[in-house]
Amino acid sequence: MVSLAATFGRGAMTNHWRDIKNADLILINGANPAEAHPVGFQWFMRAKLDRGAKIIHADPRFTRTSAVADMYLRIRTGSDVAYFGGLINHVLQNNLFHNEYVKNYTNASFIVKDEFAFNDGLFSGYDATKRSYNIASWSYKTDPATGFAMRDKTLQDPHTVFQLMKQHYSRYTPEMVSSITGIPAADFQKVADLVGQMGKPDKVMTIVYAVGLTHHTTGGQLIRSGAVLQLLLGNMGRPGGGMNAERGHANIQGNTDHAISWEILPGYLRIPAPGQKNLNDYVAQSAPKKSDKNSWNFFGTNYRKFMVSTLKGWYGDAAKKDNEFAFDFVPKPAGNSSWMSIFDQALKGKMQGLILSGMTAASIGPDSNQVRDALGKLKWLVVMDALPTTSSEFWHAPGVDPASIKTEVFMVPTTHWIEKDGSFVNSGRWSQWKDQVLPPQGQARHDHWILADVFQRVKNLYQSQGGKFPDPIMAMTFDYKNATRPELDEIAKEVNGKDLTTGKQMASFALLKDDGTTTCGDWIYTGSYTEAGNLMKRRQGVQDVKANDPTGMGFFSNWAWSWPLNRRVMYNRASADLDGKPWDPTRPGITWNGSKWVGDVPDYPATMDPHDPKAWLPFIMNGEGVGRLFSSGMVDGPFPEHYEPVESPVQNPLHPANSASPVAFLYDKAAGRPDRFGTAKEFPYIATSYRLTEHEHYVTQHVPHLVQLQPKPFVEIPQELASEKGIKSGDQVRVFSKRGKVEVLAVVTKRLGAMTVAGQKVYQIGIPIHWGYVGVSADGDPSKGRYWLANALTPFVGDANARTPEFKAFLVNLEKM
Amino acid sequence: MDYLAAEHFVRAPQWTWYILFYFFFAGLAGGSYVVSTLLRLSGDPRDEPAARIGFYVSFFATLICPILLTADLAASWTRFWHMLVNVTPGDTSLSFKYWSPMSVGAWALLVFGFFATVSAIDARIRVIPMFLDRVFNVVGAILGLFIASYTGVLLSVSNQPVWSDTWALGGLFLASGLSGSAALMALLVRNRPDAAFSLGRMHQADGYFSALELALMIVFFVTVGAAGLLDRELVWLPLWAIAVAGVAASLVEARGHMRIRASGEAATIAGVRLDTLVVSVLVLLGILALRAAVIFSAQ
Amino acid sequence: MAPTIQAGQAYGFFTDTSVCIGCKACEVACKEWNQLQGNSPAFLADSFDNTGSLDAQNWRHVKFVEHVPDAPSTQGNGTAWLLMSDVCKHCKQASCMEVCPTGAIIRTEFDTVFIQQDVCNGCRNCVAACPYGVIGMNQQTGTAHKCTLCYDRLQGGLEPACAKACPTQSIQFGPLAELQKAADVRLAALHTQGQAQAQLYGRDDSVYGGLNAFFLLMDKPETYGLPNKDNAKLPSRNNAGGYVGAALAAALAVVGGLVAFRRRVTG
Ligand SMILES: Nc1nc2c(c(=O)[nH]1)N[C@H]1C(S)=C(S)[C@@H](COP(=O)(O)OP(=O)(O)OC[C@H]3O[C@@H](n4cnc5c(=O)[nH]c(N)nc54)[C@H](O)[C@@H]3O)O[C@H]1N2
Ligand SMILES: Nc1nc2c(c(=O)[nH]1)N[C@H]1C(S)=C(S)[C@@H](COP(=O)(O)OP(=O)(O)OC[C@H]3O[C@@H](n4cnc5c(=O)[nH]c(N)nc54)[C@H](O)[C@@H]3O)O[C@H]1N2
Ligand code: SF4
Ligand code: SF4
Ligand code: SF4
Ligand code: SF4
Ligand code: SF4
Ligand SMILES: [Mo]
Repeated sequence: MVSLAATFGRGAMTNHWRDIKNADLILINGANPAEAHPVGFQWFMRAKLDRGAKIIHADPRFTRTSAVADMYLRIRTGSDVAYFGGLINHVLQNNLFHNEYVKNYTNASFIVKDEFAFNDGLFSGYDATKRSYNIASWSYKTDPATGFAMRDKTLQDPHTVFQLMKQHYSRYTPEMVSSITGIPAADFQKVADLVGQMGKPDKVMTIVYAVGLTHHTTGGQLIRSGAVLQLLLGNMGRPGGGMNAERGHANIQGNTDHAISWEILPGYLRIPAPGQKNLNDYVAQSAPKKSDKNSWNFFGTNYRKFMVSTLKGWYGDAAKKDNEFAFDFVPKPAGNSSWMSIFDQALKGKMQGLILSGMTAASIGPDSNQVRDALGKLKWLVVMDALPTTSSEFWHAPGVDPASIKTEVFMVPTTHWIEKDGSFVNSGRWSQWKDQVLPPQGQARHDHWILADVFQRVKNLYQSQGGKFPDPIMAMTFDYKNATRPELDEIAKEVNGKDLTTGKQMASFALLKDDGTTTCGDWIYTGSYTEAGNLMKRRQGVQDVKANDPTGMGFFSNWAWSWPLNRRVMYNRASADLDGKPWDPTRPGITWNGSKWVGDVPDYPATMDPHDPKAWLPFIMNGEGVGRLFSSGMVDGPFPEHYEPVESPVQNPLHPANSASPVAFLYDKAAGRPDRFGTAKEFPYIATSYRLTEHEHYVTQHVPHLVQLQPKPFVEIPQELASEKGIKSGDQVRVFSKRGKVEVLAVVTKRLGAMTVAGQKVYQIGIPIHWGYVGVSADGDPSKGRYWLANALTPFVGDANARTPEFKAFLVNLEKM
Repeated sequence: MDYLAAEHFVRAPQWTWYILFYFFFAGLAGGSYVVSTLLRLSGDPRDEPAARIGFYVSFFATLICPILLTADLAASWTRFWHMLVNVTPGDTSLSFKYWSPMSVGAWALLVFGFFATVSAIDARIRVIPMFLDRVFNVVGAILGLFIASYTGVLLSVSNQPVWSDTWALGGLFLASGLSGSAALMALLVRNRPDAAFSLGRMHQADGYFSALELALMIVFFVTVGAAGLLDRELVWLPLWAIAVAGVAASLVEARGHMRIRASGEAATIAGVRLDTLVVSVLVLLGILALRAAVIFSAQ
Repeated sequence: MAPTIQAGQAYGFFTDTSVCIGCKACEVACKEWNQLQGNSPAFLADSFDNTGSLDAQNWRHVKFVEHVPDAPSTQGNGTAWLLMSDVCKHCKQASCMEVCPTGAIIRTEFDTVFIQQDVCNGCRNCVAACPYGVIGMNQQTGTAHKCTLCYDRLQGGLEPACAKACPTQSIQFGPLAELQKAADVRLAALHTQGQAQAQLYGRDDSVYGGLNAFFLLMDKPETYGLPNKDNAKLPSRNNAGGYVGAALAAALAVVGGLVAFRRRVTG
């Protein structure tokens, strides 16, 4: 998500599920949609069956997606930057990029500061002691007169993004790609030839990925490398194109939009930082800056309005002009509070208690034995869940002596999402309202009721007993019909926001103000619940395709509602050329009809004439107004570069001296705990972890029909390696890393196999994640699932941008039991 | 999963012990009725006691059959009669399918049951008018031949490996059924002064039947071999050994009786009583083993 | 969109294995709708299949046949990991129906093969007959069970649960004639794409007079555990042979008996 924002301006799937049917070529990297998104996968098959699109799946394992792909490539986990880098190089060397698009819609022509450099795997500004970059040099030369970035539309200046990039990726020759990824050069060339054609205006390719790219210490750059390729081919903003992130849980996109992660406020506003005294400081340090005269810089320009309206929504009358709209009520965290950081703090004994809601830490976190220790160091743990989880049961897990655990564990039964109404936001940003399917069981209560109740009690305590700085709690607006049992409908209304002068629901975030007369709960959802009602409930779909999808591009504008402002394909101004004509008339995004833009909801002023010399550039969220091939939005480098996973059997062929990411965050090291990384000598095999279609993480361990389909934990072992070790399918095997071990069954298969990387023969083995010591299978097993947690093996290390764990690449050893 | 080797992809019907013994008793029921009838047709008046014993055997064996069949239906045993009556809501009717041996067999068993019963009663207190009883026996015997043989056809009329790959099963079960009946009757007559006269003839008949059985065994193996399924039989070699032993025993025994002049003198007969016991037991075990081997080789 | 379903028309499935993703949604949807509890969990160490076979508790079964070549890169297209959702074929000439002595097995008004639970008496003759190993016995009821082609749903105008759940339209439900057209188009497309081995199974009358639930296969039928057209025979083929054999034996036996018992004059 970080990398998409750093490239295009918004962190979400740029197109949507149904749009995949419009593609000519589908690259799937780091995703297994046939298993993880089977229903969404229907659109891949429609593209294949209805328009003869080709599907290319690069994956360490031949999966159920590969089974129907036109081409499967066995790729080494963690090496996709080299794969995309090689494609970028192919496109640049052979002038296969979409020239007009690249010149006008990307920052290719922007001129970068002379100080910028890249040597032996390090970008300029590296501080080895801090293991971080000073990114000052990763920016544009500015014209002193205008303050805007300098550009060379001929792309000839050696300091243009274009030239720097061409030089950067010239190292990614097919041979180098092969030596890093393990894909034979000839096979890679086949892919390059297909991808090379996608720069033609009448061709369009989509790249689909998920956590197979995210779960790496290089996750951000893995994703960005695909995004850069798509910009070069002119595939962004177009139906059938895009950089499409398949999200996780049915509503994880909604979670992200509403600030599930610590570093943002709702709608991707930055969390205030220490030292920001007032809104001016905050906006100055958070909002994108306009760096081209034709850049609208929509986000930057309106940042203050969005923030003020949010504060107004939260603190009501207490948010006044003269107190900076209660800006100081918002915490300004000094430290990092990402997932791993939380448990790192707990390990250090710095946390009293923890509330887990709808998340089972003991199973899902890296180095789960260490995470379990962390839980054991808490005074109290509250688990809000519909079912028992490894977290609610950790204190009497097999092999654990309950007497030794001092943590007091509270199980708070909540309703499952199937027992409540509310909205699901899918990967394509469609917010779809759903009904309650089942009545709540037993004493289960809705999460939002529990939280509202807790809030009221805390408030009462402050009221009766006072306390330090009660203002944010006292001032918090809470005007629901029932303060301890708010309706989700009321909350949705509040999230949309209203105009305080008229009392009416806001119709669009474009109308939000910074004078305290408008409110919102999450500006990107302003427009979802207007005076017209809850637009997320709309259901004008396939019952009348002609009427509901006139362009045939699958927008279905009156089905539910998608942010921003019901646009189905983001950055769709880029789907049309400079005159406003679609690059491909058969696949129009938006079209300038002489007086206004028609088609999808324009991601652009609806009546702005493209011929107007002052016409805005297409990427309205970026300060540059264009897509970023070169981006200072990433803390680990402006150009994606291949780094080895922290645990890797080989040295980086590009720059052995700086093999792994120089800025990956090594928690144990930083905390002074002993190093828990293994070497290729003790742990010769590469392992990756993933999902099976039959299970949803750990929760379906409670569902007999699904347990039958995949009853026991197993690892997938290449046949060649298995015969070396005398392992047969069904044998009990032990897989162990520097952190821990699993004892599970073997599935021996040719779907995995040996590969040659950096001139060396390596094996990859596959480890599904779904088992633990809770559920039907564990109950039925003599071991009670004692050594079933895949995460006993994974390293406690985070990517520099989002601190995402490296679930997808680590070293293990293997033996028959 | 790799299926390339296989040829049949059918599931086994789990016809096991009940069916095995049904096949066994059906063979004896039909067989002994036929033997008795033949005795009456071509035998000596002194064979009549033996013939009667045969009809009793047939009657009791026939009694056991429906019990075994019903037991085999397990949970739905109360519906045994659905074999004869199609209870399909709307069009309830008698159910008879000439192309389904099981359907035909059910009816045949019913009708034969009537003949077996009447003949058994008749053997005690004459109920059938003189002029009719031969005809009655002949008809019953034809049904008897069917009862003893259709079980083999029933197995063939399926898609099971082995069973459906040979046409010899009907004959095989019939020949072995007759051989078993002769052996059993030999056993029963051997110590009865009034019936002992027929002992030798029983062994001789058994000899012919066994010869036929042996021939059909060979046909069976040839046909199954042609279908490439011999390996399925090899597993059951011990059972086949027992079956062959039975055949061999009765052949040897028969050879002996060909030489003895059937004069009815106690002395001549006395010598062979012990081996009658041995031979007959071997034969009965043999035909049971044969059926077991055939039934299990498919499942 | 599900077709409108009327009695008197022939319905069936066209299962296209070249687009199956082995997600097993069909298996589960079937169990949910028909309230089958399924087998008790057992790890079969057979690729991703832990269901094993069609039986009384599993009326849909997804087969996983691994033929992945050694090469690190290969095509998928349903040729390397063969995924096939198996089901009762609803044969035009149904072996099960042929041998059933009770008349429990009928052809419905939708031209599907259906076992009437209130008529079946558990003789298992159909089990011995079905060349596809489809039918299983339910121990509780003592009756034979298999796919009903969602008889109850069809009567209610709903498409079968498995077809509705299939995300890739690998399972297509509809009037047989339309399915056959669709299958021909798909096959032609695959052939032009150079998938010469692609073939339809049961679309014409070469097996059991045609299957109402027919398949598009990416390899030989045997590879998927299906009898090829030389192996696909009806049980009744053995009636004649079996009875003739028996009659011959009977004749010889009778003669033998008469000879053995013939009267002898004693002196
Ligand atoms: N059935 C099912 N569906 C689910 C879920 C579930 O638990 N069960 N979970 C949901 C959630 S929360 C999420 S986040 C999504 C995740 O959706 P996915 O990301 O598609 O799921 P994964 O199985 O984690 O990983 C996908 C693939 O990435 C491959 N892979 C690993 N490392 C690399 C790499 O470096 N390069 C490349 N090219 N491939 C790599 C793995 O082999 C795996 O096949 O799925 C969602 N959908
Ligand atoms: N090694 C390895 N580890 C991984 C991954 C990997 O690929 N490899 N994937 C990672 C990813 S992407 C993810 S998303 C996580 C998944 O980790 P989790 O999201 O923790 O896994 P789930 O089992 O989906 O847990 C969801 C829980 O929410 C409960 N629940 C459902 N509905 C509600 C509700 O309405 N309210 C409340 N309070 N609870 C509810 C369910 O009962 C279930 O226990 O795992 C991560 N861990
Ligand atoms: S589980 Fe739900 S979200 Fe996942 S594919 Fe199926 S329908 Fe879609
Ligand atoms: S597949 Fe088997 S059960 Fe289904 S109709 Fe054909 S013979 Fe009968
Ligand atoms: S088991 Fe039921 S359905 Fe099968 S043949 Fe016997 S009666 Fe017919
Ligand atoms: S048609 Fe109905 S009964 Fe048959 S497999 Fe599909 S869901 Fe199951
Ligand atoms: S639901 Fe469709 S795609 Fe999934 S396994 Fe069944 S047939 Fe294949
Ligand atoms: Mo996720």
